[in-house]
Amino acid sequence: MEKKFNLKTGRLGEDMAKKFLREEGYQIISRNFKTRYSEIDLIAKKDNSLVFVEVKTRVGNNFGSPEEAINKRKRNRLKRAAQAFVAFHHWEGPFRIDAVCIVLNKEGEISQFRHHENIVK
Amino acid sequence: MLIKIPSALNIGLKTLGVDVEVNIASRGMPSFDIVGLASKAVDESKERVRTAIGNSGISFPSKKITVNLAPADVPKEGSFYDLPMAVGILSSIVQFKIPESSLFFGELSLDGSLRRIRGVFLMAIFAKESGIKNIFVSKQSANEAALFKEIKVYPVERLSQIVAHLGGKQLIRPVECQEIELELEKRTAEFDMSEILGQEQAKRAVEIAAAGGHNIIMIGSPGSGKTMLARAIPGILPSLNKEESLEVTKIYSVTGNIPSGGSIIRNRPFRSPHHSTSLVGLVGGGDKPHPGEISLAHRGVLFLDEFNEFPRSVLESLRQPLEDGHVSITRAGGRAKYPAEFMLVASANPCPCGYLNHPTKSCACTPREIRNYRKRISGPLMDRIDLYVEVPSVDTRNLSQDKRASKFLETSATIKKRVEKARSLQKNRFQEEPIHCNAEMKNSHIKKHCFLSPAVEGLLSKAGSSFQLSARSYFKMIKVARTIADLENSKEIEPTHMAEALQYRSHFHDELN
Repeated sequence: MEKKFNLKTGRLGEDMAKKFLREEGYQIISRNFKTRYSEIDLIAKKDNSLVFVEVKTRVGNNFGSPEEAINKRKRNRLKRAAQAFVAFHHWEGPFRIDAVCIVLNKEGEISQFRHHENIVK
Repeated sequence: MLIKIPSALNIGLKTLGVDVEVNIASRGMPSFDIVGLASKAVDESKERVRTAIGNSGISFPSKKITVNLAPADVPKEGSFYDLPMAVGILSSIVQFKIPESSLFFGELSLDGSLRRIRGVFLMAIFAKESGIKNIFVSKQSANEAALFKEIKVYPVERLSQIVAHLGGKQLIRPVECQEIELELEKRTAEFDMSEILGQEQAKRAVEIAAAGGHNIIMIGSPGSGKTMLARAIPGILPSLNKEESLEVTKIYSVTGNIPSGGSIIRNRPFRSPHHSTSLVGLVGGGDKPHPGEISLAHRGVLFLDEFNEFPRSVLESLRQPLEDGHVSITRAGGRAKYPAEFMLVASANPCPCGYLNHPTKSCACTPREIRNYRKRISGPLMDRIDLYVEVPSVDTRNLSQDKRASKFLETSATIKKRVEKARSLQKNRFQEEPIHCNAEMKNSHIKKHCFLSPAVEGLLSKAGSSFQLSARSYFKMIKVARTIADLENSKEIEPTHMAEALQYRSHFHDELN
């Protein structure tokens, strides 16, 4: 039951992030793209640049902020996954990795929403 | 937003200004990075700063924080950048301005209180030299810095205190500046000279050694009182003057030997490292060169008990510092020069069993054993020790009688007065020289300050040929004779002074040949 709840939260967050990015002028290319390293939550495109987006959603702050969960290990995985995507599709333009961090309250409403650009240098 | 917090760094006994630059970006993934050749202890301060700020009731900013320790090419050691970093981060949340011309250093505890750190005294000197007006430092280390009138030292107990102070809400009262001139404390030595029964000759030798700053070696059977004599020496040495006190404090500050709440060192150091001490422990060194026992004994006494139990290599390493009065240590991690002007007091047994020349007990050593035993102390090292004195064992039958007489024996205080008088004569003599006492005289000083009458010269050259004195021993005798003359307040070196000096020549290696 617990696992299902997390999955649902994640899905909900991804939907919110997708909507947000669309409004910001991003064109969503793919969702939940799986590589051997990691899953990429959203892949978007804007101004001829490829953007890989990691979406982290939390309910409440009992387990720290969503940003804290994107640690070095996660970032390394994201980087390799992004590189795998770029190599597979022979993409030659610029690309970056972003994070969208969402904190929900118990009713499932957004209490915090942050978009961090270029989290992996 | 970029904030610059001035701090400092100690390399050996030198101090370098360090700017702690804290940048808090308004955009970007929250992170906390430290650049500028930070060592492990500096890097770990991230967690201390984060937790200490949290536990001070302020929530740590969820922003991209980058800290640079400039100049970036010098390796940074130690934990005292916690405070400048925390102040830099706090200034972005709680609005306050960093006061001009201030230095910050301190290690943070997880609960937000400040801990004692090493080397504060050196940083205070650096602040004085570079015209800095305020120092913020932990309360336990504040006294160490509060020695100059022109600098205000703010003792900080907790991180929240500094926030209140800089925000102008509740000011921290600066520590009152302590006068260095303050009468230096009376040293209480472990033993008083009046407690030592008999051994009049040895006491006399110790007095001469103290008066002229000479190195001394005492040879005697176990239990004859060598160690007791050595431990009584601090009680008869003159008090430290201001200049010397500052020199000693510098070394004690970098090694973290100043007790919590302590200030400058007012007593002459007395160091007695065990004979298992390593070369690095004695002379100094290590990855980043740190001072050894000889530097900790600067301007004081280095007592090496069981002298020939020390490994040969360790003893030989003393030769150069004994001559130069300082030691230069070069390692991959850096270079440092530490002062090491100490009075060497050594004690040893005459033979492996310890009972050679004992009045009642017989010695069980073969001549070969004795030779090997004595060979552990090399000739060149022995040559650098001005006074050689044999400490005969005390006849226990007379002890109870002597005990009653002990109240008539001279106390350390009386002897100290004579020693101080002799030292003041030397101080006048060497006013224009870079040296302080007779033992430090080089040959040129001897020529200038020690006039020998024909009678004394005749005596010395006669002794020189019959005792086969080396050239160094020859000058050594003049130095000792000068001190004996000083003790008697005599301008000239009289034949009696020289005759007494000759008694203290070394015959440690003679008896064997």
